[in-house]
Amino acid sequence: MSPPVSPSVRTPLLLALVLALLIGLPPFLDLGLQNALVNVLIAGLFALAFNLLVGQAGLLSFGHAAYFGIGAFATLHLMRAVEDGLAFPTPLLPLAGAAAGLAVGAVAGFFATLRSGVYFALVTLAIAELFHSLAPHWEGLFGGEAGLSSMRMPWGGLIFGSTLEVYYLALGWVTLSVWLLWAYTRTPFGRLTLALRDNEQRVRFLGYDAHATKVIVFAISAMFSGVAGALQAISNETANYSLFSAHVSAGVVLNTFVGGSTVFFGPALGAAAFTLFDHLVSDLTRSWQLYQGLIFVLVMLFAPGGIGGIVQHHLRHRRQLDWSRLAGPYALAGLGGALVAAGMVFMIESLSVLFGEGYAVLRRDAGGGHPPFEAFGAQWDPAGPLTWGLPLALFLAGLFLIARARRDIAALWESVRSAPAGRPAGRGPEASARSAPSGSPS
Amino acid sequence: MSASPPALELVGVAKSFGAIPVVRGVDLQIPAGERHAVIGPNGAGKSTLFNLVSGLFPLSGGDIRLRGRSIAGLPPHRINRSGLARSFQITNIFHRLSVFENLRIGVMARHGLRFGLFRPVARMRQVNEEARAILALVRLEARAEDLAGDLTYSEQRALEIGMTLTTGADVILLDEPTAGMSREETDRAVELIREVTAGKTLLMVEHDMSVVFSLCDRVSVLVYGEILATDTPERISANRAVQEAYLGEEPDESSGRDFGQDSGGEAAP
Ligand SMILES: Nc1ncnc2c1ncn2[C@@H]1O[C@H](COP(=O)(O)OP(=O)(O)OP(=O)(O)O)[C@@H](O)[C@H]1O
Ligand SMILES: [Mg+2]
Repeated sequence: MSPPVSPSVRTPLLLALVLALLIGLPPFLDLGLQNALVNVLIAGLFALAFNLLVGQAGLLSFGHAAYFGIGAFATLHLMRAVEDGLAFPTPLLPLAGAAAGLAVGAVAGFFATLRSGVYFALVTLAIAELFHSLAPHWEGLFGGEAGLSSMRMPWGGLIFGSTLEVYYLALGWVTLSVWLLWAYTRTPFGRLTLALRDNEQRVRFLGYDAHATKVIVFAISAMFSGVAGALQAISNETANYSLFSAHVSAGVVLNTFVGGSTVFFGPALGAAAFTLFDHLVSDLTRSWQLYQGLIFVLVMLFAPGGIGGIVQHHLRHRRQLDWSRLAGPYALAGLGGALVAAGMVFMIESLSVLFGEGYAVLRRDAGGGHPPFEAFGAQWDPAGPLTWGLPLALFLAGLFLIARARRDIAALWESVRSAPAGRPAGRGPEASARSAPSGSPS
Repeated sequence: MSASPPALELVGVAKSFGAIPVVRGVDLQIPAGERHAVIGPNGAGKSTLFNLVSGLFPLSGGDIRLRGRSIAGLPPHRINRSGLARSFQITNIFHRLSVFENLRIGVMARHGLRFGLFRPVARMRQVNEEARAILALVRLEARAEDLAGDLTYSEQRALEIGMTLTTGADVILLDEPTAGMSREETDRAVELIREVTAGKTLLMVEHDMSVVFSLCDRVSVLVYGEILATDTPERISANRAVQEAYLGEEPDESSGRDFGQDSGGEAAP
């Protein structure tokens, strides 16, 4: 009984561990990391809410920024009202985001789900674009170009002044939301959502109103997206029209698919990976978005199940896996991947320096020609063989290692697949599978 | 004639795709409890007729009544809720859900759990028991947890029939339930259909006359979108006009009653 979207057996234990870490660790982290973790929580919830629509209902939205943004603005309005004296508990602020997301999601979803496939995606895109172009001109609702700002007000002895307090507030809401999203998958309506993705026509002939069902799924997805937006508003104490941008809509698509839309927690993994990576490297490079795009393309090409898909695949076969034999090839593949990445990064960074404004100035000052440039703490000659030979060599060496490892890994997995489930892989088929491809180097 | 209206009644039902008429004024009355077959050559409009009755296509003309009440113009889910369920000629299941889940989705509908959001379905005893019962009925217990997409062709056909039963409808439409099956599989399917439609009204498209003979009370012959004759299987197979229109030639003794076996493998997925 393992439909694609359902947590595996081991999940509760793993989740308890993750939750314990999320509760216990942050006080010992520096402020920057605490902030990054708040963003991880928000992006994770957003991706899971989005995946309710994409992974479970099979409806790919390109405009989910709309509901994230609506949640943020609604929450800021409520925060301003609280500032003006409204008695509303600060910890419950995300309810405003939930309500606004649900309401706007229901209306937008009603129209978007009248169409399916590409047309559905385009309508969602258009709706988000509508908000994006409307917001800067709508002073009262979205605060014009500058957006809205407010302050978190103390409540019941809690000041909500520190990042840590905001973090725990977010953690509480994200935990609750994720639990609800997970519980959803086990309700009749949650099962119907999966059926809808598989075969909308049959759903109709079994007596379900497919359109109404899709509107509700859409609205619920928008509601939890609104909660994520609300948490962002609470954390930043400000929001402007850029929340509605295609950049935000694309971000959640990227997170979800790199994380793996067929596994319940996959999208959260993707969101966590990208957000933490963003935190770590965005200061070091200006090409972060290029890397993000590259990772996305590579994952789609070579591991379309995403991170979550890979993890689930290994968990599912954990009994048959012989790690003593897999570890070597995996390490080799990892090393190869690192070399390829190093080569790519070297080249991309060099190019971004060479085509950057700084280098143009350098050239002018040097009176034309191609003066050496600085990257990775060293001087490089733009026309030097080493400058391009080194990354190329790294890249090719990495590819070679990956190709080698891949053969061994494929053979090992072949033996896992052919071995009867439930007992460790036998020696026989493995030996024959390994001996087959050994000659031709690639 | 009894006082109660027929379970299903078609009055001048017509359908054209663009300028091409496919169903040209079909009149048919099926009393409650009858098992009724529709036979006819390929392209005669049998599936189209089913699509009209079940609400997939709007009618171009005429009326369809379920227990005396018009269902013309209703969307498929409303027709299903009025008590009419159908299977498809080309298997139409939830490939990435388990076999059990495929059946449970329909059972949920019968229990009105269309927007059930507040309890896990695993704890709904009645729903799970009913799904199990249908699973047993179509003899797929051994495959309960497998993905429906992984079933063999004839298992998928059995599931297709099972899903049609889940919503508790008492008028059942089966479109070529035995197409593409071997002799034994067909025999088993016939037993299955007999069993699961006991006490219900059945309308089925069937090419195999031996199936029609063993299962059905009456037969309608559809040719070019029109009903040529409606009668008992015995009288239909002896009907000269039917033989001529259907076969385009005199029947010889050896071909027996197996006319219209030209459906070939067109229903294979
Ligand atoms: N959606 C559609 N649009 C246009 N033409 C259609 C459509 N559906 C069916 N037809 C045409 O209507 C005619 C009748 O098709 P139908 O599927 O009802 O035949 P059938 O009697 O079920 O045949 P078979 O025994 O092959 O299943 C065919 O000529 C077919 O091409
Ligand atoms: Mg047909």
